[in-house]
Amino acid sequence: MIYVNKITNIPLQTAVIGAIERRRRLQAMLLLRSFESALLRQPKPGFQLLSRGEEAIAVGICTALERTDPLLCSGRSIGIALARGVPAGGLLAELTGKDGGPNKGRAGRAHVSMPSVGLFGAHGVVGGNISVAAGVALAQQHLGTKAVTCCVFGDGACGAGSLHETLNVAALWQLPLLLICDNNGFAVSTPVRQGIAAAKLTDLAGPFGVPAAAVDGTDVDAVVSATVEAVAAIRAGGGPRFLEMRCTRLGSHSTLTREERSAADVERFMDFDPLPLYERRLRDDGVLDHERWVRIQAEVDAEIAEAEKFVEAASWPDAEAAMLDV
Amino acid sequence: MSKLFFREAIARAITEEMDRDARVILLGQDIAAHGGSYAETRGLFERFGPSRVRNTPVAEAVTVGLAAGAAAAGLRPLAFITYIDFLMLGLDPLVNYAAKLRFKSAGQLTAPMVVKATAGAKGQGPTHAQALDSWLMNVPGLTVLAPSTAGDAYGLLKTAIRSPGPVVYIDHKRLFPLGGMVPDCEELIPAGSAAVRREGRHITIVAHSYMSVVALEASKQLALAGIEADVIDLRSLWPIDWETLANSVRRTGHALFVEEGQVVCGVGAELAFGLQERVSGLRVARLGARRVPVSASPVLEADAIPNAQRIVLSARQLLGRVADNRSETAQR
Repeated sequence: MIYVNKITNIPLQTAVIGAIERRRRLQAMLLLRSFESALLRQPKPGFQLLSRGEEAIAVGICTALERTDPLLCSGRSIGIALARGVPAGGLLAELTGKDGGPNKGRAGRAHVSMPSVGLFGAHGVVGGNISVAAGVALAQQHLGTKAVTCCVFGDGACGAGSLHETLNVAALWQLPLLLICDNNGFAVSTPVRQGIAAAKLTDLAGPFGVPAAAVDGTDVDAVVSATVEAVAAIRAGGGPRFLEMRCTRLGSHSTLTREERSAADVERFMDFDPLPLYERRLRDDGVLDHERWVRIQAEVDAEIAEAEKFVEAASWPDAEAAMLDV
Repeated sequence: MSKLFFREAIARAITEEMDRDARVILLGQDIAAHGGSYAETRGLFERFGPSRVRNTPVAEAVTVGLAAGAAAAGLRPLAFITYIDFLMLGLDPLVNYAAKLRFKSAGQLTAPMVVKATAGAKGQGPTHAQALDSWLMNVPGLTVLAPSTAGDAYGLLKTAIRSPGPVVYIDHKRLFPLGGMVPDCEELIPAGSAAVRREGRHITIVAHSYMSVVALEASKQLALAGIEADVIDLRSLWPIDWETLANSVRRTGHALFVEEGQVVCGVGAELAFGLQERVSGLRVARLGARRVPVSASPVLEADAIPNAQRIVLSARQLLGRVADNRSETAQR
């Protein structure tokens, strides 16, 4: 697989990123991974779409965006919500349907939102968030805010009409919209090549004149660079951009979905696990040693333990109060 | 009061609301220089310009999605759907996103948007002619308004544009060319308020949109036969003005529900059930479209939907005032 930043064709600027920032990225990814493990340890984890294998994309996008850039995502939202800054305890409460979540437990992973931290919201209909994101971008353009609206969706959404209608109107109106396809290789059980006729997902944007690039979605630094470049171009008035971020879904589609990929394949996918890949690179680059790695793990463990305590203490929502916001 | 065409009343409401609130924008096919499919946006493009009056591609899904997202992010969009049949393409952002947004975000986000969609049969065939009102009534989070007069078109549209949540504003092809009195001063009609169009003591006829016009016509024929009908124009399909309806049927004891759409799970079915829960001893009947698609043939179209004659017959049957005991509704 070849991952190239086609917007700029310039080399990735990992060398100029500080060691502290790179360790922060590693820690942020580890937090996502550990958080999902904690979620699965809950008495009733529920119907969840996990981010395992896709942490670099979540952390990278959220690193690149300003807090005021509205971010919309699909129902595979857990990593993005956490990376965006939704507190771990509150998110755990939201995912398990408890009152302490940002949406009082009503939204769950498919609809979690927290506009105060820039998470405009997840949406549980595949492709359904794309046209809504165009509307959010239209509002930013109309109000003159300079914000870039970012919408993350899966490869499955690339076959949906919503993407194509949105690409058309976003290009016509030059909307400040960044469309990011988190291509994890599978729509539930359907591989991309069986679901999408285009040879490359980036080909979908071309006919509308929307610049597109493919990015190594297992490399958090590459994700940050590509997103920063695209956001800068959009913010400068360049109109919409499309990024395909390639990664591999390490687990099955959801906590309730059968894994239909062979054990050998799943084993092979572990080569694309962004966490050990990045950890190894940081060691090779001399910015991570054993002591620092232990400290990172301890900090993550402490944050998760606090989140678990929070969710245990959180109450269940009051059914009558829920009628207030219909 | 001034006499305006229904379409002019719509244009006036929009003009006033756009003057009042810079967040109001319009999205839809042929609404800019063309002035709207029913000439109901004439002059708005010239007055407010291309950034507030936006022609959209023929793409209802993204049009409603744009409105929903823009509303959630602080604008007050009004999206035009030329034929309500095409709203099916935009139901996902409307029903799955906008209608649930306030609830699912626990009040952090709302979608103050209006979808203005044109219903009704007028010679354009199966997919340009339907009345889907009851589908929309079924969705928690949606307000559904359906004016039948120019005055209500004005007052309800202003309410819709200022509403905090998604509103579907249903107008009707046969209403645009009709004239009516519109107040000269600004006047809003709240959602959830029905209008008593005619008072009578024998039977309550409940209708909305163009069927209100037809029901009034029928009530005149009934009066010639000595049957005095209360005619109630719902105006608001959700919320429902139960009080006005219940007050009427308590007096008349008989209610005939007339709608242009299908009767199965229809507006009348809901109203009859709701009123029977509130008023005991009520006798009800309903009249709606036959269970066939609307045809482009004028003969078949007329055959499919209620008219004054059928309303008269149904009313007489409900009151037991027909010699022939065949039920109009049973034939359907």
